[in-house]
Amino acid sequence: MSELPPTTSVKRWLVTTNHKDIGILYTITALFFLLFGGVLALLLRVQLWDPTSQILSGLAYNEAVTAHGLIMVFWFLSPFGFGFANYFVPLQIGADDLAFPRLNALSYWMYLLSGVLLGISFFQGGTLNAGWTMYAPLNVPMYTPSIGSTGAVLALAMFVIGITASTVNFLTSIHHSRAEGMGIMDMPMFTWSMLATVWMMLFAFAALLAVGLILASDRVLGSVYFSATEGGALLWGHLFWFFGHPEVYIVFFPALGVMLELFQSFSGRRLVGRKWVIIAICLISVQSFLVWMHHMFLTTINLEIKTLMMATSIGISLPFDLVVFSLIYTLIKGRIQFTTPFLFAFGALLLFILGGITGVFLGAIVLDYEFRGTYWVVAHFHYVMFGGATALFGGAYYWFPKMTGKMYDEFLGKVHFILFFIGFNAVYASMFLGWETPRRVYEYNPAFQIYHQIGTIGAFLLGFSFFIMFYNFAKSFVSGPDAGPNPWDYTRTAEWAVPSPPPLENWPNRPSYASGKLEFVKDYVPDGGPAMKTDENGDAATDGGDSHSTHIREYPYWDKHPSHASIWPLTLSLALGVLFLGLSGFRDSVTVTLGESVATSAITVSNPVYPALMVIGLVGLIWAGVRWGLEDFYAPPTEFAERWPFDGVEKVKLGMWFFLASDVIVFGAFISAAVFIRYNAGWRTWEPLTESLPGLINTFVLLTSSFTVILALVAAHRESRKGLLASLGATILLGFTFLGIKMWEWHHEIFEVGVTIAANSHGDPIQASIYYVTTGLHGVHVVGGLLIALFLFYRAYQGAYMDDERPVEYFGLYWHFVDIVWVFLFPLFYLF
Amino acid sequence: MIDPVILQQGSDWRAQAEVFDEIFFVFLALGTLIGTIVVTYTLWNVYKYRDDGDRSDEDFDAPVVGELPTGQGGPKAKKLFLSFGLSAIVVISLVVYAYGILLYVEDGPDTSDEGDIEILVEGYQFGWEYEYPNGHTTTGEMIVPADHRIDIRVTSRDVWHNFGSSELRIKSDAIPGEYSENWFSVSSEEVEAQGGEATYRVECFELCGAGHSAMTGQITVIPQDEWEEWYAGTDSDSDSANESANGTSASLGGAAVEEVGA
Repeated sequence: MSELPPTTSVKRWLVTTNHKDIGILYTITALFFLLFGGVLALLLRVQLWDPTSQILSGLAYNEAVTAHGLIMVFWFLSPFGFGFANYFVPLQIGADDLAFPRLNALSYWMYLLSGVLLGISFFQGGTLNAGWTMYAPLNVPMYTPSIGSTGAVLALAMFVIGITASTVNFLTSIHHSRAEGMGIMDMPMFTWSMLATVWMMLFAFAALLAVGLILASDRVLGSVYFSATEGGALLWGHLFWFFGHPEVYIVFFPALGVMLELFQSFSGRRLVGRKWVIIAICLISVQSFLVWMHHMFLTTINLEIKTLMMATSIGISLPFDLVVFSLIYTLIKGRIQFTTPFLFAFGALLLFILGGITGVFLGAIVLDYEFRGTYWVVAHFHYVMFGGATALFGGAYYWFPKMTGKMYDEFLGKVHFILFFIGFNAVYASMFLGWETPRRVYEYNPAFQIYHQIGTIGAFLLGFSFFIMFYNFAKSFVSGPDAGPNPWDYTRTAEWAVPSPPPLENWPNRPSYASGKLEFVKDYVPDGGPAMKTDENGDAATDGGDSHSTHIREYPYWDKHPSHASIWPLTLSLALGVLFLGLSGFRDSVTVTLGESVATSAITVSNPVYPALMVIGLVGLIWAGVRWGLEDFYAPPTEFAERWPFDGVEKVKLGMWFFLASDVIVFGAFISAAVFIRYNAGWRTWEPLTESLPGLINTFVLLTSSFTVILALVAAHRESRKGLLASLGATILLGFTFLGIKMWEWHHEIFEVGVTIAANSHGDPIQASIYYVTTGLHGVHVVGGLLIALFLFYRAYQGAYMDDERPVEYFGLYWHFVDIVWVFLFPLFYLF
Repeated sequence: MIDPVILQQGSDWRAQAEVFDEIFFVFLALGTLIGTIVVTYTLWNVYKYRDDGDRSDEDFDAPVVGELPTGQGGPKAKKLFLSFGLSAIVVISLVVYAYGILLYVEDGPDTSDEGDIEILVEGYQFGWEYEYPNGHTTTGEMIVPADHRIDIRVTSRDVWHNFGSSELRIKSDAIPGEYSENWFSVSSEEVEAQGGEATYRVECFELCGAGHSAMTGQITVIPQDEWEEWYAGTDSDSDSANESANGTSASLGGAAVEEVGA
């Protein structure tokens, strides 16, 4: 553990694990990506000015289209919302920090470095040019051969890995660390929106991770999933949109949360039908997973399923209707203050209404048949997603005083809003008028030129308006007037009860809502006196005492200081980034020539740079992982907290369960892919590729290892070091036995039968790909488990886990999960 | 070999473009109406309840920092459910209405079996190839007779494309290994109105690579008798005259077609 340096030191921003610091890092990085994606958008708009001239080449245009979409959706919209979530969710629920501060830092660094990888991909022979939807089979190397295309896919995979960590973190925090008295229905609306967001993310991003890993395998290892004519292209469509539709709400909900907060804060009224809004939000989150095929109405899906999807798609507008009406009625009889944050939130509502109505058009299948692939779609999703993001800019103005302690310039803020709103509608409303233009096309029908020219002018106005915002924020940060703890009249949530910016550990004493309103409770007084309560009504004048102190607060009831700094999240992310950079060029620099056996096979390295990067990255990853595990980092547990519906579940265990839930989806997607392709190829035309005996033996080996893990837990519980070492050792040996048999099996298949990842001497090559990739993913899980087991063994040898066996228990959860997955894979690949 | 018969005109079948125009108009009218009402109502209330500083403090229950959130109930909640109920009625009627139209578009008009002409459309980077029932193929330009229901089966030989004509309001995904189906028809009145030959621009509506923007083609509709003459002269070999056109706005005139047919 190291001390946290002051904010003026560069080092602080590299090692910090504090949720507020990381929130600021997220916000600034997201704004950078807004500029990046925005410049790409302007390039497109310049090209669209005249359908007969060519400024960008066809490939360059497609690259700009693709990168613009990827950056805006993944590297701008979500992280911008997560910047605020990082900063304000812990404050709104009365927590000191997120549940896993180091994991939070890890998510941020993976986000930043994955963005850097995406930037690098432009210089690796051109980035991906298959559109942000990356439809198969255009996304495979045969059609997009550049190294940069693989780089972009791996950048996305890395981003998703970081996102998954973040999702688990937020779910655990919100379900585990709410202040005493804050029931789940009492959470502020922004936090509620974020909770719904991360629940959707847990499942949706797992599907994206799966499809990204399969694509990475196609691009790096040479499997043939998405070029398979046995449904490969449709498989991409299904998996991508299973993620893709919830993603729309994932990027919109943080903005909705901001709208729900700001409508109350600037009208002085409480939300109308609050309970029903929450129910609507939950309904949308569930329903979002049941509409994805409306993105595929023109494929060969049958009419019954399409009709069902039409009904669910149009039906999902209903809960949104309720939320919109609630927002509108909340304002009535209020005292509406037209501050910049409110203008943006209100503008977002208007834009969202337009986006919502035009979305109902797309839900009707007959209309969708014609709108598919046109600017109607482009206009609609910009109104919804970017329209939503409009509220996030409102959030930026709303919370700027809290995050910096300074007030922004109201006049410049309003100018920004006016230019933004005019520019926005000029760009996207003109797209509705010229909607018959196909998407991602620059040689369009000249009849629509006027609309595209209006759009281009609007785009530059829109882009310019942001410079006013940047200037405003920069100038106000340096020389703005002090904002005080609560510059707004009608705020309610707890972030306004502490100074601006809040102290490192947020609260003067333990926050509690047990009495029905926020109080700061002193649980233990050194001289043995009675517990004291500090009343807090949130007025600036009464906000005094020790809440102003910015030094690290004492925890009188705990003998350790919480940690706030660790270098390992950054190191680990860097190592993973280097590994992925190496992987991107693997196929182009390494050629494997298969001989009769391993001995006669040859590996030719044409370019040593990429393999070297892979080795450095891999070694760094293991090293940083071990150092992470050994670091003495203390994140204090919350003693008094509301935990419904997970009362009694310990923090790390809860996190583990969330992680495993997302891993279930990852494997579910891989298994679904196998079943889907096989169904398309004709189920009975495939025989198992391999002998069933090695698989059967491996099943017994793994099940036995599940038993030894339980023995390890029992031994640790009984504080028997020898027993623990013996049973952990047995688990490790069984794990290696499993891998050994697996290696023998693969060797046999490759060299004696002639079945490799891309070739199958017995039938469809895709069958071989599915076998290697699916069991390979399971094998990677086994290897990961073994690495953790070795670490536990080393620590147990040093005498750890005698008084706290929980790490062994959590490893056991993971190991059982890996074994259960095998129970599904065995019949799929060895029996039927 | 098909034996086309002239379809009965003036019966109740409609081209996809007409169907689309109707449903688009209904949605647009309703959408505009509802959008205007909601936005106007909202703007008016926001103006009405602006904070002008001269309203009394009585009855204004301002929220305070640190309160546990509560919602507003009472008359506003009732209004919320009323509005929600109204929107549900609108949405559900739209679903039912759209479903009726969908069934028509999916099935297409009833025609006698021998009247249908089925054409296989195959997308490739970057153009379209059409295969007629007799095995004859053309690229770039599809030539079909008026007054017929033309069934198309669309697929791709490389990446995912989308075959579409905005003017005819037809669109179909072209996916390798899959065959998606669609239909269209153009009346002889329409062909005559366009001077004996109706042409429609075909575009690709799914990003398919560097040449996506230029992946255009054409559907040419000519009168029944002209088409029969042309079709009789084709055989299962590729049409070399059309081969060179290769997707980029082939503009074969009626004369050229006759020449090929002769």
